[in-house]
Amino acid sequence: MLFKGIPASHGIAIGPAFLLKVEELRHARRTLDSDHEAELEVLRFQKAISDVRHDLENIADSMGNVVEGRQILEFLLLLLQDPTINKEVESRIRCGLVNAEYAVSTALRGVMDKFEVMADPYIRERVADVRDVGRRVIEKLIGTEKEALKNLDQPAVLVAKDLDPSETAGLKPGQVLAFVTDMGGRTSHTTILARSLGIPAVVGLQKITAEINPRDILIVDGIHGHVIVNPTKKELKYYRNVRNRFFEAEDLIQRNNPGPAVTEDGVEFELAANIELPHEVELVNKLEADGIGLFRTEFLRLVQEKGENEKDHYEIYNKVAVQMLPKPVIIRTYDMGGDKFRTGLDTDDEANPFLGYRAVRIGLDRPEEFSIQLRAILRASVHGNIKLMFPMVTHIEQLRRLLDLLDLVKNDLRSRGVPFNEEMQVGIMVETPATVIVLDLILPYVDFVSIGTNDLTQYTLAVDRGNPKVADLYDSFHPAVLRQIDTIVKLCHSRDKWVGICGSMAGDPLAVPLLIGFGVNELSVAPTLIPDVKKMIGVVTTTAAREMAVKSLSIETGLRVRALVHSYVVGKYPEILLDENDWRLT
Amino acid sequence: MVELVVTVPNKLGIHARPAAMIVRAAVEFDSEIWLESPADKVNAKSIMGVMTLAASGGTSVTVSAAGDDETTAVEAVADVIKSGFGEEMI
Repeated sequence: MLFKGIPASHGIAIGPAFLLKVEELRHARRTLDSDHEAELEVLRFQKAISDVRHDLENIADSMGNVVEGRQILEFLLLLLQDPTINKEVESRIRCGLVNAEYAVSTALRGVMDKFEVMADPYIRERVADVRDVGRRVIEKLIGTEKEALKNLDQPAVLVAKDLDPSETAGLKPGQVLAFVTDMGGRTSHTTILARSLGIPAVVGLQKITAEINPRDILIVDGIHGHVIVNPTKKELKYYRNVRNRFFEAEDLIQRNNPGPAVTEDGVEFELAANIELPHEVELVNKLEADGIGLFRTEFLRLVQEKGENEKDHYEIYNKVAVQMLPKPVIIRTYDMGGDKFRTGLDTDDEANPFLGYRAVRIGLDRPEEFSIQLRAILRASVHGNIKLMFPMVTHIEQLRRLLDLLDLVKNDLRSRGVPFNEEMQVGIMVETPATVIVLDLILPYVDFVSIGTNDLTQYTLAVDRGNPKVADLYDSFHPAVLRQIDTIVKLCHSRDKWVGICGSMAGDPLAVPLLIGFGVNELSVAPTLIPDVKKMIGVVTTTAAREMAVKSLSIETGLRVRALVHSYVVGKYPEILLDENDWRLT
Repeated sequence: MVELVVTVPNKLGIHARPAAMIVRAAVEFDSEIWLESPADKVNAKSIMGVMTLAASGGTSVTVSAAGDDETTAVEAVADVIKSGFGEEMI
């Protein structure tokens, strides 16, 4: 089950739910008998203030160098010691002869009312801080404190109606994997704290506390503001992958050599990134990649459970393209099916999903739906350097139908006066041997191609790499694959077409020299691989790469090809990441 | 009693963080210190007060103080406001 809220703090977390139940505080009015009793009540109030101050200062100290956290705690401390409020509470006790709890809650009610009508939403959000401090003071006065969080016996996702800022500040990132709340907004101190502590959070979910049971498994997607309750295996797999990549980001930026990728002999080489989610653009830019060589769009299926929505597509394409400007963004249309999740697609289980209903085969079967994506890409194309790429094109008539559909969409946009880039480049992925064999017939229809080495390898060698019994036969260095890459590049260049590689081979350090040697125009790799691939490019000369590529075409086995490259780079790049099979090379 | 009129120079005006900076400066002094906008007059040592003043960028506010250290108090609080709180100016 999917819930949508406000993405408050970036990150992905997966874990069991821990429901935080909050008792309503009782602070009934009690009338005091004498002025003397009132003075004792005032003293009790002052003691509570000083106890809470002590608690907040302890939390502030525990925040260490989390700057925003300390600032927020200091703000809460100023609220706690506000002379105007405290004088008012004291005069309510003295003049009204009422108990401190009642005086605090009525005084704060007045303050919060004043806040809630403020025009500035940022100031309105501070009501939560007033409530937080007030609650702590009243808890001290009553002598009950929230113990619930102490019952957290394993790392969990906190589920609550709302979290107070000081409570959030006390959360331990290792123990609380994420939190989701019914209430809350983007600029509340609670969400700011979550961000500075690096705890993923989704807030403003309205009624999620009523829908979740203890120990339910939750996926918290703090990037999109989604919470998935008791996810399917596919959703889990997908999000685990996204989460792992997220954690690596910071470390990557540290390791990345600044500037463009340059070969040892000083030739700049186009190194782009494959992305899956829009927020990855930030990392891609920090790593100084030359563009997005593959923007996978399958995740859009997941976020639009109510069916295709042009606005969702458009906004995301637009945002990514604008953030990347002036660098190119190659958007690949839906590549559902195969091993990719099919959320929202009512396809049956197939005996051979990789040979089945997938990618443009589905798109051409549902032209209305597919047009929504095409229209959104075209509309976004005026705002950025966007190129469109169709996956899994195996038949030329298929390509013609795709281009006809694209023309139809273009005509529709023209007739309605909607701008799009008339010069937007259109390309295909080359990922089946069939496409390679008839590439000379295909090239006149397209502006560029990008080689998808994963599918090309598995279709060429007839190996399902997901099947452990045959996975060792899967080898992108197999002569059949290398020879096809050589053929593709030669053919493309003879027709002045651009050819990139966006399969995982492009991110294999040992493949990098070969691919440069074959003459591809671009390598596009997962953002996490950019630092290593960039380093690899830096230790290879174009001449040596060319020699290795030529030599590799007459080598009998993939392993021997890897050995060839390995012996060249090992002295120059000793910390090179090796494949699990490569121990045999050393 | 000393008074000084200053203009709130930053774009966002006196929101939570600037309010905290003003209060932290004000509590250093023994004098009573006030902030006055065309709409309201508040205790400069009260975070609630300073925030509810909600002085937007460009507003004129009067800083006043009464007490033994009133002159330095007014100058110190006015300086914090004039600094723009380290934020983007109008």
